[in-house]
Amino acid sequence: MRPIAALCLALGAPVWAQWIHYPTAGIPRTPDGKPKLSAPAPRTADGHPDLSGIWDIEHNRPCPPVGCDDMLIGQEFLDIGWSLKGGLPYQPWAVALQKKRAAAGAVDDPGSNCLPTGIVKSLTTPLLRKFVQVPGLLVILSERSTEFRQIFTDGRALPADMNPSWNGYSTAKWEGDTLVVQSAGFRDDGWLDRKGSPLTEAAKITERYRRPNFGQLEIEITVDDPKAYTAPWTVTLKHHLLPDSELLDYVCLENEKDLPHVRGK
Amino acid sequence: MLRVAVAAAIGALALTTPLAAQWLKYPTPGTPRTADGKPDLTAPAPKTADGRIDISGLWEPNGLYIGNIAKDLKADAVPLTPWGAALYKHRQDTASKEDPTGWCIPGGVPRSDAVPYPFKIIPAKGMVMILYEAVHSYRQIFTDGRPLPKNPNPTWQGYSIGHWDKDAFVVESTGFNENSWLDNGGHPGTEQLHVIERFRRKDFGHMNIDITIEDAQAYTRPWDLTLPLRLVPDTDLLEYVCNDNNKDLEHLVGK
Repeated sequence: MRPIAALCLALGAPVWAQWIHYPTAGIPRTPDGKPKLSAPAPRTADGHPDLSGIWDIEHNRPCPPVGCDDMLIGQEFLDIGWSLKGGLPYQPWAVALQKKRAAAGAVDDPGSNCLPTGIVKSLTTPLLRKFVQVPGLLVILSERSTEFRQIFTDGRALPADMNPSWNGYSTAKWEGDTLVVQSAGFRDDGWLDRKGSPLTEAAKITERYRRPNFGQLEIEITVDDPKAYTAPWTVTLKHHLLPDSELLDYVCLENEKDLPHVRGK
Repeated sequence: MLRVAVAAAIGALALTTPLAAQWLKYPTPGTPRTADGKPDLTAPAPKTADGRIDISGLWEPNGLYIGNIAKDLKADAVPLTPWGAALYKHRQDTASKEDPTGWCIPGGVPRSDAVPYPFKIIPAKGMVMILYEAVHSYRQIFTDGRPLPKNPNPTWQGYSIGHWDKDAFVVESTGFNENSWLDNGGHPGTEQLHVIERFRRKDFGHMNIDITIEDAQAYTRPWDLTLPLRLVPDTDLLEYVCNDNNKDLEHLVGK
């Protein structure tokens, strides 16, 4: 069991060892000073929910019998479709590719190679991410490899002809209290999870972000990739706020020791 | 010529996206324009609602300083200690083959102010973010009044706090690790490195960063330099992944 965690991520900074303690401004607190995470979600000056904050994944995977490892991986990190009855609706070639990737020990997982993980996996990695919402833009700062993602909220459309990239290009608009993010422009060789579920250039991803209260963030992800899947599919991630801390410096490529183990050399 | 010069100048960075190929075209809101619709880069600097100079935007160093951040200074203006001088000489003698950015490690401060790829300055509540295209990294500069941590975990990017001093945004950074390179040439920084950057936007299209370097292990006294930036209108950051097909390491062989 242990190798799963060890191999998935070069672990420099276990989540619960976040050593930066700095009170996050604007957090409602109980009389004893603890964050009151059930308080209403904050709002920006324009009245929309403010998604800003440091968000941690749902800890929905039990520790293995040998005990908890140094980082708690969520189910969706290993298998983005784990909550779907029957799993993901792979096209025949896509399930063949997924099985081939898994059988090879996920050696070509971009994450294991310190490459960007793409927008879905960056929401399932057990490392933290910080949302910063400013007028016209939502920025996601990831602890992992100091990556960032820009989601434009200034009304622009997706470009007509996008340079294929790991993160694609994202624009969003508010529908009531839900931020609806549309993304496209992905590379053809994406990985959505550790088992190797593919993502192709044909993909369009819709994310619906909702902050039901101060401490919770719900992210409904719909992947529409007709090249890899026979039908669009939807999963929901439930993140929780990590108050009074800060992102740590995580440089995947620094003193990287994972890959030789992944490759079995 | 420009692209060749830039490529040669930055050398130690893996080039996947030449500047000239910035393909994202989107008119930057709030940009003053001349009668023919072009950005008026000599218009006055914009101001925020509270009357301060607004330094936000996509900015680009000019590429002339990444090889030697002290290029404009007289030779004796960089007060290396004997230890610092020996390390700098070693890095020069070995053609910077130990440069961490060859392994796609973030360049740190103030080196990131000199890498000729765009970076985006975004003020937010309690902090100013800088998103860097090169090596796809970011810095958080806290402006919520917190002090610098007394015993920070040493990192490549350090820990930064900022405040406004009249029209300058003043950033103070410490908490660097022992292996800082201030430029491709290898001007050293150690765990004692303390950097002050003063971002001064002169007009709509131009900004200077006045920088003070202090590091008692590497330099006998604080020293100063200025790096110029130009605004890049009507485009945005591209995705730059240094270690995707990195070909630099095979060239970083020393002499």
